[in-house]
Amino acid sequence: MSEHNAPAPKSSDDPAFMLPASLAVLRLPLCVGGFILMSLGWYLASGVGQHGQNFGMSVYLTAAVYCMTIVLGCLFFVLIQHLVRAGWSIVVRRIAELAMVMVIPMGILFIPVIASLWTGEGTLYRWDNPEYGPEHGLPNNVWLEKLRWLNEGWFTVRTIGYFAVWTSLALFFFKNSIRQDQTGDKAITDKMQYWSGPAVMLFSLTTTFAAFDWVMSLAPMWFSTMFGVYLFAGSILGAHCLLAVASYVLQKQGAMRDEVTVEHYHDLGKLIFGFVFFWTYISFSQYLLIWYGNIPEETEWFYVRQIGNWGSVALVLIFFHWMLPFAGTMSRHVRRKPGLVCAWGAYLLIMHYVDVYFMIMPSVEQGNAGGVMGVVTSIMCVVGMAGLLSGLCLILAQQNKVVAVHDPRLGESIAFENI
Amino acid sequence: MFRVRSGQETTDASQAFYNCELMSENNEKKVHGVVAEYTSVDTLLSACRRVRDAGYQKTDAFTPFPVHGIDKALGIKPTVLPWIVLGAGLTGTATALVMQIWMNAIDYPYIISGKPFLSLPAFMPVAFELTVLFASFGAFFGMWALNGLPKFSNPVFTDPRFDRVTDDRFFLYIDSKDDQFDRGGVEKLLGDTETDYVQTVVDDDSSDKVPKPFFMMWGLVVGLSVIPLLVVLKMRVSHSSQPRFHVFYDMDFSPAKDAQQYSTLFRDGRAMRPDVPGTVARGEEQANLNYMTGIDMEALTAIDPSRAERLVRRLNPYFQGETEAAQELTDDEAAEADKKGSGEEPEDSSPVAGKQSASKAEASNADENAAAPEEAKPSVMETTPWLDSNPLVLNEKVLADGRKNFGIYCSVCHGMNGSGNGLVNVRAQKIISPDWIQPSSLHQETLYADKYPAGKLFSTISNGIRKMPGYAGQIKTRDRWAIVAYVRALQLSQNASIEQFKDMDDSERAKVLQEQADVKKALKEKADADAKAAKEAKEKADADAANAST
Amino acid sequence: MSLAIPNGLDNTVEQPGERAPLVLGDTTYHDITEAVCQVAERKPSTSWVIGFLISFALLQWLGICILYLIYTGVGVWGNRSPVFWGWPIVNFVFWVGIGHAGTLISAILFLFRQEWRTSINRAAEAMTIFAVVCAGTFPGIHVGRAWLAFWLAPYPSLNLWMWPQFRSPLLWDVFAVSTYGTVSLLFWYMGMVPDLATFRDRSVNKWRRMAYGVLSLGWSGSSRHWMRYEKAYALLAAFAAPLVLSVHTIVSFDFAVSQVPGWHTTIFPPYFVAGAIFSGFAMVLTLMIPARKMLGLENLITIRHLDNMCKIILATGSIVGLAYGTEFFIAWYGQVQEEKFAFTNRAFGPYWWAYWTMVTCNVISPQLFWFKKLRTTPWMIVLVCIFVNIGMWFERFVIVVTSLSRDYLPSAWAYFSPTWVDWSMLIGSFGLFFTLFLLFCRLMPVINMAETKATLAKQYHVSNDGDH
Repeated sequence: MSEHNAPAPKSSDDPAFMLPASLAVLRLPLCVGGFILMSLGWYLASGVGQHGQNFGMSVYLTAAVYCMTIVLGCLFFVLIQHLVRAGWSIVVRRIAELAMVMVIPMGILFIPVIASLWTGEGTLYRWDNPEYGPEHGLPNNVWLEKLRWLNEGWFTVRTIGYFAVWTSLALFFFKNSIRQDQTGDKAITDKMQYWSGPAVMLFSLTTTFAAFDWVMSLAPMWFSTMFGVYLFAGSILGAHCLLAVASYVLQKQGAMRDEVTVEHYHDLGKLIFGFVFFWTYISFSQYLLIWYGNIPEETEWFYVRQIGNWGSVALVLIFFHWMLPFAGTMSRHVRRKPGLVCAWGAYLLIMHYVDVYFMIMPSVEQGNAGGVMGVVTSIMCVVGMAGLLSGLCLILAQQNKVVAVHDPRLGESIAFENI
Repeated sequence: MFRVRSGQETTDASQAFYNCELMSENNEKKVHGVVAEYTSVDTLLSACRRVRDAGYQKTDAFTPFPVHGIDKALGIKPTVLPWIVLGAGLTGTATALVMQIWMNAIDYPYIISGKPFLSLPAFMPVAFELTVLFASFGAFFGMWALNGLPKFSNPVFTDPRFDRVTDDRFFLYIDSKDDQFDRGGVEKLLGDTETDYVQTVVDDDSSDKVPKPFFMMWGLVVGLSVIPLLVVLKMRVSHSSQPRFHVFYDMDFSPAKDAQQYSTLFRDGRAMRPDVPGTVARGEEQANLNYMTGIDMEALTAIDPSRAERLVRRLNPYFQGETEAAQELTDDEAAEADKKGSGEEPEDSSPVAGKQSASKAEASNADENAAAPEEAKPSVMETTPWLDSNPLVLNEKVLADGRKNFGIYCSVCHGMNGSGNGLVNVRAQKIISPDWIQPSSLHQETLYADKYPAGKLFSTISNGIRKMPGYAGQIKTRDRWAIVAYVRALQLSQNASIEQFKDMDDSERAKVLQEQADVKKALKEKADADAKAAKEAKEKADADAANAST
Repeated sequence: MSLAIPNGLDNTVEQPGERAPLVLGDTTYHDITEAVCQVAERKPSTSWVIGFLISFALLQWLGICILYLIYTGVGVWGNRSPVFWGWPIVNFVFWVGIGHAGTLISAILFLFRQEWRTSINRAAEAMTIFAVVCAGTFPGIHVGRAWLAFWLAPYPSLNLWMWPQFRSPLLWDVFAVSTYGTVSLLFWYMGMVPDLATFRDRSVNKWRRMAYGVLSLGWSGSSRHWMRYEKAYALLAAFAAPLVLSVHTIVSFDFAVSQVPGWHTTIFPPYFVAGAIFSGFAMVLTLMIPARKMLGLENLITIRHLDNMCKIILATGSIVGLAYGTEFFIAWYGQVQEEKFAFTNRAFGPYWWAYWTMVTCNVISPQLFWFKKLRTTPWMIVLVCIFVNIGMWFERFVIVVTSLSRDYLPSAWAYFSPTWVDWSMLIGSFGLFFTLFLLFCRLMPVINMAETKATLAKQYHVSNDGDH
């Protein structure tokens, strides 16, 4: 009936499903270079300004949270595709699957964050300093109650818990998907679909609390019930951007050229547009409610983010995390050009970093947004960490295929057309 | 013309006649095109491709549901609708922002919950809603306009078989305006596709008259809907002496009582509840009587012991038990001033006093009040030994406090400079409020220190006068005295006489006097000149009038 | 043209790689037309007449109550200090929430290409509009002088010399709800035009033909028209989707921008939206399950449709549960005395019964939908959905009443009790809703025939592909 004639699915050994050699050679340089750059950035950041250690740890946390959100976004992407039995996304799902396994190295990369609690007092999280409460004039009972949630031991246990949940989810869905590559067993899809429901619930619960613990507790007395959703909005946006960029790069290097079509970019473009809107919706709602209520306990968070250079960063987020990409990805013509979708994806990945930076850094460095050295070292640290993770991802990709070759819906995905 | 189908089914006589008339010229009826019927999407699509490949441009397919891929099969170009929608959406955003900024930040700025007049975050929700609303209007109306709908007459509808296009049949249509159109060729081309039915589309021969009842209904609706409009218009332009007609009460008949009204709820019949007897404001427990009343109480006791007693009772907490007596207290001087000021004759100093006059303890007092208007005895204002000077030690702080409190409580009516033209007055004048009495200017000679003692001024502020309510409840005693001091300063600022400045040295005094004389002289000269000019003008006018009459 | 899909096939099972059919039975295009049109063309059934009479009586009762209210004043309600937002606002938020499923099904599921929406979207959209009508009634009469409600509109007034206050969330609400009502109406009507044309072409009665002829605007099914129509539909869907989010977000702002403990919390916008979808779907199911039975539409509204909707209820119910939990946790974590008290008071204070009714109905009862047996047994679905609706009404009651009755000023604390007028209006609003819905069932196409036929065409295409 339709005039669009999709190519017949290729055999599963086709080179189009393998990681192109031009990318494969980058894996070790990326790992080693990334690790060095990350450590250097972290080390240099520890020497910046009067906060020293504190600043260095915050820069490191920013990089870690940034990478973590994207990895989690990919995990969520995979879960949700199974949950709704999506057909269109099969050709790009493997990329997300590869990225979500990076939750394991992320767990190792989070060790310094936990270690900072046990080795110092308030090096990263100010509540870790027992003097914080009395110094800020908090009533003793309030502060002690607060410490029942925010203390080294319980915090560590929770963090380990989050990683345990995510690692199990990621490994379960990754291993089953890989097994299907070999066996082509349709029952595996059923199994993954069956477990995706509970998995999404576990995921939402853990992400919400991880956002509270890792980021929100940087300002110990501040609270916002929506914070988990706020972090999640950036995270799911980042995941879609990563998919667009990674598919484009893989296609440029020769993989899955016939499989990922303009239709998939169109869909990714739509979703990126949608999530830019969602991010705006969530962050605006949070701001509006706090601005309107005007209660000192809450406005504190936005107050420090409006003074000095942080005010400019806030404006950057408004204009360049919302308005520009919103207008830029609105048109169907843009979304149907893979190059442009990839470009907007890459751009938004950068803006997502600005967002995370804006969430974390003002808690340690007030006023000047970290200064030039602060920004440079932060970028070094995050680029290094992202490089390290990409290297690891490439190692994993080389051992497996870059498309879920035996997914029963692969044909549907390849033939997929937007209305 | 609606889709009233012509031909076989209709039994309507006029319809039949109309058809017969057209039947004769059936052969000359204009041919609009040729249509073919298909039973499935696939046969339709393949026919479409054949027609497209044969080079026909002005073609169309009619389907019961949107068929995927038919735009390519027919070569239909994309629509401009998205651009219309974008324009409409941006108009919506702009309208909302301009509207909100104009209304809340420029034309009617109003402080609410400490937010700036121009609060962009608060304007976002409405901006978003109007964007969506306008864009949706753009999409909805734009789509119908581009489609040329509503259009109730369409030649393809002529064929009764076409009714199935909204059910389960698919039609392909080639318009006669197509450059290649040739009836025979087109019929053959279509006949070669998988179709059982090819038909020429001709002019609709059904009646194009809208049925009469429709007009009658329409006329009736329009006629009826004009009536309320006319009634409103008439009411707008005419006057009426009848009281307003209340469809809704609009709270015009509130059961709540106004000040000084009678109520059956309480034993004393007052709607307004007085302070509990002996109420002393916080922090004023130690204040002395003169300070709290503005009257030299010792002197008053000598002249009018009963009034003094009442005033003291009202202030002294130890008399709380005697509520009834205490409730009798009225502001004699306020009542008096009321009488003088408004020119009305009060029945009594207050309705309450009249009602309670049977009370034995206060009989003499009530008599005194009741007798007051007849005997023309000296007014309370004159007989009361008011304090002549402000008991506060005057300094800059006192004046500043006076100024602050004047600004808060007094200036809304009396104006910042005391001229009696505050914002409330301005507004009342603007809306021509019927029951508004203009507040007094504080710059009248009768209110100057020599005629109006400080104690009296204090008492007026505390107890009110005419329409002005007492402020004893709102302003602390000390601050009321501070206002007194400030009012005196205000009065001096407007019309001071040189004699009041006792510690001025002589040379300075001479200088001021000289300046005063100069100004007076200049004013007099100007007044003379004006009078002269007016006189001349009048004479000239009279002369003209005289000339004109002769 | 008949399809080789056997009757009684379980289309809730979907083999990976194949798509289960959404239209069952040996259905043809014409069968769809017949199935949908017969609903409006045959004589009304007894059950319809009885239902209509009951609903209409309740509607009259609502009207009488409103007249009584206007004549006497808002004192006839149980709204007393400090609970000035009593049942009228609870009912408003409840009905607006119900009104979210329609546009969500139409717009968001359309954008996500969930084809199963086709046979339920029409009725759901109609429900949206009727629910918005019910919702709009309450703030309208709650303003006290209902005849002056037009003062909310920003028009240059010669009597007032002033403009509405755009920094107030209540005015945002006016704009949000009226925009939502308008856009939903456009969306609903536009979707109905091709089906009204079907009604027109099938009518034998001249007046009926003329009425549907006018309503269908001369729709001819031209492909050019269809193309622009589909574009406009997609655009409207793209606007309606964020609009749905915005409406309940703004309703949540009514509460959340204030400083009342238990109201001022940032999760309110997404949590209200999830709750609205939750209650809306529950209401759609409560209505559609008896309707499909009575109207004989089981082959078009299949068990798979019900199954999918149950899953959405499960998902949104869990989100709502998560939000309840988060609120409680943050109330403790934040260590603000008033917030802590507000939440303890909700669960263990004088309104504990309302809170636990809410939790049981909203969080626990939808968890039953983890079992497929429950998701595919219609009467059980109806049962759970009724509980969900009760729970969602109580959620609004808990939010409005518990927070207001225990405000910052302990001396003003009081226990709220509704009057008979409150009760009557809640019940009467159901009368309004059902009256409109039953009329819709009789007069309008209850299922989107054009879209269902398109789904069938696709299904036919797929099964053909399978053959060769």
